[in-house]
Amino acid sequence: MIQFQHVTRSYGNRVAVDRLHLDVAPGELLALLGHNGAGKTTSIKMLVGLLRPSQGQVLVGGYEVSKNPREASKLVGYVPDQPYLYDKLSGREFLEFVGEMYGLHPADVREAVAREASRFQLTEFLDQLTESYSHGMRQRTVFAAALIHEPEVLVVDEPMVGLDPQSIRLVKDLLQEYVQRGKTVLMSTHTLSVAEEIANRVAVMKAGELQFQGTLEELYDLVPQADRTLEALYLSLMEDKSSA
Amino acid sequence: MPPTSLVSNSAPAPYPSNRLPTHEREGQIFWKLRWREIRAQTERLRTRARLRTGLVLILSIVFWVGLYALFYAGFDLIVARVGQPGAPYHAETVRFVFTIFFGALQVMLVFSAGIILYGSLYASPETDFLLTLPVRDSRIVYYRFQEALFFSSWGFFLLASPMMVAYGWVVQAPWYYFCYLPLMIVAFAYIPCALGAIFCLLLINRLPYMSRLLVGGVALVVMVIAYFSIWETLNVSDADLLGPAWFQETFRRFRFTRGEWLPSTWLSNGLLEAARPIALDPEDLPWLEGGKYLLVLLCNALFLHVVVAWLGERIFRESYFGLYTRPARESKSYMVWFDRWAQMLLCFFPREIRLLIVKDLRLFRRDPMQWSQFLIFFGLLILYFLNIDRFRQHRSDIDVQAWVNIVSFLNLAVVGLIVSTFTTRFIYPLISLEGRRFWILGRLPVNRDTILWSKFLFAAGGAWIPSAALVLISDLMLNVTMMVVCMHQLICLLLCLGLAGMAVGLGALLPDFRERSPAKIAAGFGGTLNLVLSALYILIVVLGNALPCHLYLLATSPLLRYRLDPEALEFWLVVTLAGSAVLTGLVAMIPLSKGLRAFRQLEV
Repeated sequence: MIQFQHVTRSYGNRVAVDRLHLDVAPGELLALLGHNGAGKTTSIKMLVGLLRPSQGQVLVGGYEVSKNPREASKLVGYVPDQPYLYDKLSGREFLEFVGEMYGLHPADVREAVAREASRFQLTEFLDQLTESYSHGMRQRTVFAAALIHEPEVLVVDEPMVGLDPQSIRLVKDLLQEYVQRGKTVLMSTHTLSVAEEIANRVAVMKAGELQFQGTLEELYDLVPQADRTLEALYLSLMEDKSSA
Repeated sequence: MPPTSLVSNSAPAPYPSNRLPTHEREGQIFWKLRWREIRAQTERLRTRARLRTGLVLILSIVFWVGLYALFYAGFDLIVARVGQPGAPYHAETVRFVFTIFFGALQVMLVFSAGIILYGSLYASPETDFLLTLPVRDSRIVYYRFQEALFFSSWGFFLLASPMMVAYGWVVQAPWYYFCYLPLMIVAFAYIPCALGAIFCLLLINRLPYMSRLLVGGVALVVMVIAYFSIWETLNVSDADLLGPAWFQETFRRFRFTRGEWLPSTWLSNGLLEAARPIALDPEDLPWLEGGKYLLVLLCNALFLHVVVAWLGERIFRESYFGLYTRPARESKSYMVWFDRWAQMLLCFFPREIRLLIVKDLRLFRRDPMQWSQFLIFFGLLILYFLNIDRFRQHRSDIDVQAWVNIVSFLNLAVVGLIVSTFTTRFIYPLISLEGRRFWILGRLPVNRDTILWSKFLFAAGGAWIPSAALVLISDLMLNVTMMVVCMHQLICLLLCLGLAGMAVGLGALLPDFRERSPAKIAAGFGGTLNLVLSALYILIVVLGNALPCHLYLLATSPLLRYRLDPEALEFWLVVTLAGSAVLTGLVAMIPLSKGLRAFRQLEV
């Protein structure tokens, strides 16, 4: 469903993503891990159409993102690390706007808004202007907007930041349930325990290069000397590559 | 619909994509978004910002009526001297006024629309959000262009509409003249704004491939050429000022504003034709002639609308990608020598105050929003002050001497008003913004009073140095007496102290810790109150001192024989100066003391 085909992205002489080759299949949750500046956000921005690869192609559902941005983004729901909401719209109006932009019929939009508001416990303050929302409420509203059209691909960048434990549980359950329905999730995170708990596969990036992609079992096999926790494996992998 | 561009043969077949909104549906969705935002914003202004909204409305109406009266008197004079429409020189004279006025505004609209569009299209998180939705690129560009059009042209509506209405009333224009007006205004404003948008899109599309040095060099050359062109056009001999030869020469020099290909000329001609009385000749139809120019404006506006949408679809995303994948410049801390100098100059203050002032100075000079506005306003004032020495030619005339005195006080008031906008925009929000960093300041072993006093000293000192220099330049160019120079300098110092105290005190008394944007904090109730009180304070101080000074000048002039007692006026001058000092003390200390009390008890 998601394909990075030998993708490189440079900023002048600095290579942010170097020949990234990565596939994510339907029904799979891939956790993208890496230090700050590893190239995770640049990769995600190329996936959602905010950046164009210098070389290579990014495909979503067979559509090349930089050449068919509308068709590709129709298949994607995106939760950025710094969510944007219209301060002067209520949560309901914002969700309706997003739903209508994805081509839903107004009646379907109303139904979808009610569904997502219920799922993310937004109903109580859905008619308040979003300028009065707390960070957690904003984050949940953005999640609801990303799922309003039930996209085939959900891309989430640091989904747990600012959420309370109850909301974290909600999001984890949601992502797992979403994958079980055959959808695709790509999640960038620093919260290794969450990745360990819900990801089918992990991809580790460092300095723009993909260091590893595979299941946790495969990672255990790669670094047998480390403890069998993702944190220990990740740190060990990073250390190995640094010293190599 | 199958995708227009797919990948290599080995790629899987594209996933079926449901129908996306049509162009029309997309437009409707965005209009609904706009309408909902306007409704919420209006409701907020009505319920939470009544003072500001009321003030803006009242001041706008006063401004409009004042301009209308001014233009009415001007056109009345033209009609009285040159004759009604149809008289030999009427059209030529009015066309001269119209073409210069609309031509100048046309250029400003191109630049303002381009700059505003850049800010809203390329440097906005909303654009990032919209780019992740299945929205057409042309729609995003058009949506942001609408905002640029509104924000850049409301000033044009406010300036041009009283002039057009005044002309219509003076010449008793037919009814259709007034029907054409709104259409002509909108169609005309659309053209330069669309051109600004086109330039903006094309420039940003090429920008990643240009070197910064080249762009800076070209901008500098353009500015120098523009400056010398304006200088050459306006630079005429003082000896013939306002004489017949001066008028003829000026008319000739401004012939470029009457070019047939300029929208400002179409608008001017359209207004003149529509305002003509209906002639006896059945083939001479003023409504038709005026209507033709209106159609020319409309057609060009619509054509440029299509060009903006076409360019948006083709180059916006490319230009956006290019802009955000340029090599990032490292943000180094430049001008360390400036901080060292500031430390040395502030050596007579306690160490804590010195450190806090230097910290605020660093933040000021590293924020282009602050120093660029400061430079623009003070730069424009310097240019104006350096060009007001024409009065020197007529110093023997007591009327001119009196005017010089009045102008010097008006300049002082202008400097004060500019300082008040800066204290409102940049000093008033400082405490509110510190609230977010209060975990640093609040835990430092520094008395909280020290923090507020440092803000006051930073504001007063930062305002006084450039203001005093500006007032001195104005006085030197006007060649006023030493007594007036000293008086102006003293009033300038008082104004800076009063305005700084008021802004810091009210800022601490009415903080807004929820808001991140200093512009929004300044636009709130406290900021508006600060601006209004500052303007009142400036008017009281300047008018209170200008009146006795003016009468004193008349009393001491050998050219006049007014029965005024100079000694009594001297006493009055001293009393008003002392009164200004007392008022300044009250204006600065009352808000500061209340602000200090509130700041000591602050819990964030």
